[in-house]
Amino acid sequence: MSARFSEQYAAVADSLPTDVVSAERRRSAVEMLTAQGLPTSRDENWKYVNLRPLEKVRFTPAPPSPIDASALPPAIQGYERRVFVNGAGGAAPTQLSSPVGPDARFAALNDVFATGQASIHVTSGAACLELVFVATADAQAGASYPRVNIHVEPNARLTLIERHLSVGSDSNFVNSFVNVQVDKGATVQHYRVQSLGARAIWYDTLNATLTSDATYRVYSVGLGAQIARSTVSVKLAGERAETGIYAASVGDRQQNHDTYVVVDHTVPRARTEQTFRGIAGGRSRVSFNGKVVVRKDAHGTDSQQSLRGLLAGPEAEIDVRPQLEIYTDDVRCAHGATAGKLDENMKFYLLSRGLEPETVQRLLEWAFLEDVVARIEVPELRKQIEQSLDQELS
Amino acid sequence: MLSIENLHVTVEGKKILNGLSLEVPTGAVHAIMGPNGSGKSTLAHVLAGRPGYEIVSGKITFDGQDLLALAPEERSRAGLFLGFQYPVEIPGVNNVYLLKAAVNAARKHRGLPEVDAFEFLGLVRDKMKFMQMDESFLSRGVNEGFSGGEKKRNEILQMLVLEPKLTVLDETDSGLDIDALKIVANGVNRLRSPQRSALLVTHYQRLLDYIVPDAVHVLVKGRIARSGDKTLALELERRGYDWVSGEAA
Repeated sequence: MSARFSEQYAAVADSLPTDVVSAERRRSAVEMLTAQGLPTSRDENWKYVNLRPLEKVRFTPAPPSPIDASALPPAIQGYERRVFVNGAGGAAPTQLSSPVGPDARFAALNDVFATGQASIHVTSGAACLELVFVATADAQAGASYPRVNIHVEPNARLTLIERHLSVGSDSNFVNSFVNVQVDKGATVQHYRVQSLGARAIWYDTLNATLTSDATYRVYSVGLGAQIARSTVSVKLAGERAETGIYAASVGDRQQNHDTYVVVDHTVPRARTEQTFRGIAGGRSRVSFNGKVVVRKDAHGTDSQQSLRGLLAGPEAEIDVRPQLEIYTDDVRCAHGATAGKLDENMKFYLLSRGLEPETVQRLLEWAFLEDVVARIEVPELRKQIEQSLDQELS
Repeated sequence: MLSIENLHVTVEGKKILNGLSLEVPTGAVHAIMGPNGSGKSTLAHVLAGRPGYEIVSGKITFDGQDLLALAPEERSRAGLFLGFQYPVEIPGVNNVYLLKAAVNAARKHRGLPEVDAFEFLGLVRDKMKFMQMDESFLSRGVNEGFSGGEKKRNEILQMLVLEPKLTVLDETDSGLDIDALKIVANGVNRLRSPQRSALLVTHYQRLLDYIVPDAVHVLVKGRIARSGDKTLALELERRGYDWVSGEAA
């Protein structure tokens, strides 16, 4: 497998924009991948996701292609929209810091082939932005590499909506890499909606670093794709920094949704909140791994995890795993994790009021996801997501 | 309205109801009393179709239909309402949504169009006022964070909105203070009519001070041990359940 990175890179190297990623950095990423290969299911952190399709994926980027604006979700008032087709686009990119995190290999793959980048730099005040990443190509024809670099300076505020969707083909290969830097006292509200086509494959890496008094909240809603794996790494590097990771995932048919989160508390008095609600219907497999590391100096850490999975199909599988690694005494780490079926008492109560069994199922699944969905503070976006969920659950 | 013939029910192999027979005529309010473990709640659950009960033998006819052949939701649409002893909290499903969905399910069953949302809200507000419930309850999750008394009032509100032919109340009086008990009783009395019936399952006589029953039945060891008029409840209160249990043994 190892030679394929250099071969495929060599085939397109001349056409890759060096202002997105320098040729030198691309080559070192190729070397890293050649030496290490991509993750396999034998890796502990990757055992819940199907990585087999990677064996035959063509990594070279798909060419940009025109799309019909009517295929995109309705615009949200007050949000400037930028559309990237097959990852290409973006003006005057700035260099991302080199990939870090629990597993940087997919980020390195993005380094090798990225053709565009969304650079968001908020120096002061409040900005509202929407990024729409559209994949149009079949996986055999080429891959899509969304790439986002966010830097929010002290006390500034950013609300970002990030969407991943398919237009034309429903069997894309998408590998996204998002890097977030939140400076002192700044706040980022980050909404991510993955609604790729039914046969699409999405590997995603999100790294965020927070300095003191910074707040970073990310809300992820996973609906689409055949295989979707998101690897999220948040480093709390300044006192009183605060992060919230709220994820909802709805799997059906043979979908495989896997989210791996690690939050690293390196300093005192920082806070983490993780809420996951996942529903696995049909023969799908949905998983969430939420790891919190509290380092030796991180006294006064406050960490709350509420991870819940709902089994809604006879052949579905759900895995929720809270993981705590604590190296100091003075911490408050609460975690709850459950996986099971719908509450029989709730079901009977609603049936006894005359509701159809299908309606009851949908209503309770909906209610289950509300713990995440109700937190979405952009009303129009929340409405769109609720409509999508309604379709997904019916 | 309701006719139960020789009903035998087991739960996990254990006999709970042993040949229970009961007739509740149209327009009548009957009370079922009995000591703990006599099978009162089982009877209420079996009528509503709760899973987990095995009907070994017997027959239940409700408004001319074979009740046991109907699924729980079909029983509701046919006009049977169970007021729960422990109403379930359902965060994320709001009260007004449930009320509307329940009414529309029943209307669809009768071939009627959906209710007008605006009119419906007005009707619900009236009934909430009657039950002395704050309007803010409407937008909250079903029973979410409600006190025990609020939950019971919410059950009666649902009953008033659904206007069932037969209301079965499973120990709705338990845990209520006297003011809440009166409000609940007023709700039940409001629906009383020559066309509707009610079956009140209760441990104590005091509910029957406010909802005067046409008949009282005492359930002991899964069958009716004694039936009488409202004075039977008073006599039970005075002499205790041992009086009837002793006779039944």
